[in-house]
Amino acid sequence: MRARTKIAAVFVAALLTGLASAENKYDYCLLCHGTNANGNYGIRAPKLSGMEPWYLTRQLENFAAGIRGAPEQDFSGHEMRVVGIRLQQEKVLGEAVKFITALESKKPVHTVSGNVKAGKEIYQTCVACHGAKGEGNATLQSPALASRSDWYLATQLRNFKAGLRGADPRDTLGAQMAAIGGTLKDEQAITDVVAYINTL
Amino acid sequence: MNRKFSRRDFLSAAGAVGGSTAVFRAAMALGLMPAAAHARPQIAALRKPRKVLILGAGISGLTAAYELSRKGYEVQVLEASFRAGGRNMTLRHGDRIDETGYPQVCQFDKDPDLFFNAGPARIPGHHLHLLEYCKELGVELAPFINDNRNAWVQDDAMFGGKPIRAREYLNDTRGFVAEIMAKSLKKDDITAPMTSADWEQLREYLRQFGELDPQFRYLGTSRAGLASHDYTKADVLKQPLSPSELMKSRFMFIMSFGETDDQAAMMMEPVGGMDKIVSGFMAKVGHLVQLESQVQKILVKDRGVEVAYRRNGEYVTAKADYVLNCIPVQLLAGIENNFPSEFATGLTKLPRGKLFKIGLQMKERFWEKEGIYGGISWTLQDIQQIWYPAHGIHRQKGVVLSAYTFNPEAGERFARLSPAERIALAVEQGSKIHPDYGKYVENGVTIAWHQMNHMLGCAAQWDAELSKQWFAKLQRPVGSHYLIGDQVSYHPGWQEGAIASAHHAIADIDARERAGGTVSA
Repeated sequence: MRARTKIAAVFVAALLTGLASAENKYDYCLLCHGTNANGNYGIRAPKLSGMEPWYLTRQLENFAAGIRGAPEQDFSGHEMRVVGIRLQQEKVLGEAVKFITALESKKPVHTVSGNVKAGKEIYQTCVACHGAKGEGNATLQSPALASRSDWYLATQLRNFKAGLRGADPRDTLGAQMAAIGGTLKDEQAITDVVAYINTL
Repeated sequence: MNRKFSRRDFLSAAGAVGGSTAVFRAAMALGLMPAAAHARPQIAALRKPRKVLILGAGISGLTAAYELSRKGYEVQVLEASFRAGGRNMTLRHGDRIDETGYPQVCQFDKDPDLFFNAGPARIPGHHLHLLEYCKELGVELAPFINDNRNAWVQDDAMFGGKPIRAREYLNDTRGFVAEIMAKSLKKDDITAPMTSADWEQLREYLRQFGELDPQFRYLGTSRAGLASHDYTKADVLKQPLSPSELMKSRFMFIMSFGETDDQAAMMMEPVGGMDKIVSGFMAKVGHLVQLESQVQKILVKDRGVEVAYRRNGEYVTAKADYVLNCIPVQLLAGIENNFPSEFATGLTKLPRGKLFKIGLQMKERFWEKEGIYGGISWTLQDIQQIWYPAHGIHRQKGVVLSAYTFNPEAGERFARLSPAERIALAVEQGSKIHPDYGKYVENGVTIAWHQMNHMLGCAAQWDAELSKQWFAKLQRPVGSHYLIGDQVSYHPGWQEGAIASAHHAIADIDARERAGGTVSA
């Protein structure tokens, strides 16, 4: 038991020594999320550029606290979770958000196709919080949905529906989305609504 | 803990680590590849100045830099990491392990024998090009022990989880199978014409195969080991193990590992660590390599290629007549580019390798007291393997590979844990093989290749279908841009594959230059 404690102590010490030089620190973000954090479907990392800073902050904090990315089935969420933990431990979460927010946002390529007309009907449920143009609502803390990685929106809807996101009792905002996700009756409904969001 | 693993899983897993040998063989059978190794390109000296940018200082990038620079090409290598070598990585005292989320520092004692090959760790005798570079670069080689019959086999499914020696599993199994065959096989069952002499020869083969007695019974064999090695007394064979217990184990899918094309003796390793190959190349081309330069944009032009990269937080643009690119496809897919859509789509199609390794520094070489000198113990637990170092024999300490899984799900299970938890789990599982395992552990390193910075994946996970659909498309140059690395070889996961990809690309560049030096698309 003592040996294990010792090993753990060694790793904590290693973690605190930090890694890349200050200038290169946030290149970590670009590693997965691609040039200007415009997303990398190859590694299933969504576009971050253009995301609201308050939304980025909350999600990073959620990852760090295990509110998001904890379930075993959420492989990508786990990958992000360890990064969130590290950003918080090194007290640079705010700086990382600033770095992302300053990047040049590029319109994402559409990868999801569905029935736009059916999607429009489904989207009426979303309007109140996310806006008719998918522009988001800072007061309600609802992020914009337009100009995001469409495959990522679909993945998150699946995660909300499957209880992989928004199920943690501390995640009150996520719980609202989980409830909405539950009303999406099947995979078709998910791709339809995302296909409609692509038109916004 | 351990998911049921089908035979197919095992084969594809063995293919992944063994470098898709099966895929390679299939390609050979179709006559797509020559039976001998490809010829090393003889690059002609340049007639006009040409600039080549190489993206990534792994084995493929360094090979290309070495070959091209000495023929007059102006070469610059951009490497995203703080170190060169790519997945050829040897860890020693004080080395940084740049895992996103879980950075670590290697705490091994400072000692030339205390190192861990976190990436490639063995070289078969037919990897001719790599061996030729070792010779040329002055990399000293030593035998590597891959297969040790004194090592252990452990599976919770047999003998209540108690480990047995590999020689017992292999030879008792063979004995029982041979006995059943010899007793049940009838001459009339064989449709091929067979003389009595042939028939007797076949029965003799079975007897030899299993070491059966004159009545074709299997009563034990010295191949499975003696009960005692007290040579003042007559030899006593070990009692054969229970066949029904042996048959419960899925170890049968791994038992021939050390007989496969890339894993059979004679295997080698560089003395002092696999990265001696990297230092050998770097001694020749290190001055051309720029570290901590992360590529952000690749634009293929009518003439040449433009590349933008980040260095010290600034964007820098570079232009070249040719680009050789060994950035892992899963990362390349996220870099801004103007590749044709088919090529760009191909980049997103290859699943990431999730191979995982742990190396532990042991304060005592306890395994040598068990008669184990080098080689591998196998278990059906997530750690899958324990490797014993063949160097530093009889010294006080040693670094033991304490987990090496080819199973992507096991790799994910480990990666999810913190380094300390990974080690605790490896100790718990290793204790089923060596009961006092934990008490020898001083410190350790854990490598989740799919979480390593600038990699986020081990060997590209090609299968037959993916190869058919995408390999040629990714291998073919886009203008003057060439994708290289073991990821575009039929031997991913092996340095020889990385070298083959580099040779393939530079041979093409050489042909273009010989044909008049046009670099237009």
